[in-house]
Amino acid sequence: MTQPLSPPRPPRLAAWLVDLFATREQAECILGDLREEFSDLASRSGIANARRWYRLQSAKTIAHLAGAALYDASPWPAGALLLGFLLSLFSAGLPEQLIVALLRTQRPYSNRHYEAYVWLLAYGIPMVSITQSLLIGCVVALLARGREMFTTIALSLLRATTTAWLLFIFFGRTPPTRPVIPFLVPFLFSRALDLIGIVIGGVIVGRVRSASPSRLAAT
Amino acid sequence: MSAREYLGEFEHIVLLAVLRLGDQAYGVTIRREIEACARREVSIGAIYATLDRLEAKNFVQSRLGDPTPERGGRSKRFFRVNAQGVSAVKHTHRALRSLTEGLALLGGSL
Repeated sequence: MTQPLSPPRPPRLAAWLVDLFATREQAECILGDLREEFSDLASRSGIANARRWYRLQSAKTIAHLAGAALYDASPWPAGALLLGFLLSLFSAGLPEQLIVALLRTQRPYSNRHYEAYVWLLAYGIPMVSITQSLLIGCVVALLARGREMFTTIALSLLRATTTAWLLFIFFGRTPPTRPVIPFLVPFLFSRALDLIGIVIGGVIVGRVRSASPSRLAAT
Repeated sequence: MSAREYLGEFEHIVLLAVLRLGDQAYGVTIRREIEACARREVSIGAIYATLDRLEAKNFVQSRLGDPTPERGGRSKRFFRVNAQGVSAVKHTHRALRSLTEGLALLGGSL
């Protein structure tokens, strides 16, 4: 007995990205339209062609949604972006202060817990730092009201630009000397983790929003 | 007519496609109508970004249909041009007609 052929499935990553970048209301109809045209194209010109078309359409759709988000009249995404930038500006250095304060109270370096002291310095600061970025990303995404991804990505880009600008001020005229480089590489790595943390905050809030029941009623 | 009610070129095309399709105007059919009539390849995202803008300007209204299996259980969003949208299309046509009148290069008028 032969199994009935299952209908072709569109590329999951492309569909996931469209779902992530679109508002909940947009995702419902855009993904439906893409799926309908994908099935039609797959039956007419093959699955490979249909998949290629789907990926291209998804990329174009995300680009158009980004363009529309830029001209969004709602003050929420812009307000969320500003708040996120101020939060990240004023909470800079907080992870280092927290870990140092913890070390001062416990004094692990003065007793046999010296390994814990080294571990906290090496890994504790980046862990607190990425958690801090994740929380900022979540707050910004919650306030962005349906524009989670664009707002958190914009915040990450803004922070990356600020970091690049500061580095240019410090090292623009005098390139980093050899003793600075061992400190610069972990610093840049930690900045990159922070930027990723902000976007992950947006992804988390976007997924939770997407999974919650739709407010749109079929009429 | 205020500046907010003027139509951009693509907004104009999308509104005409929605008008032509009547009750069957949703993303897929609008995209195909534009491709067939205007010979212009457009993405679904471009259509929805434009329709969302037109809805914010109160030129179109939308409603969700029932979810269907061929769409992976997702609904169609049907669009309808309202009176203000029709008025905006007429205004744009009048403006284009008066601008092209007397232009020998374009055959005198639309």
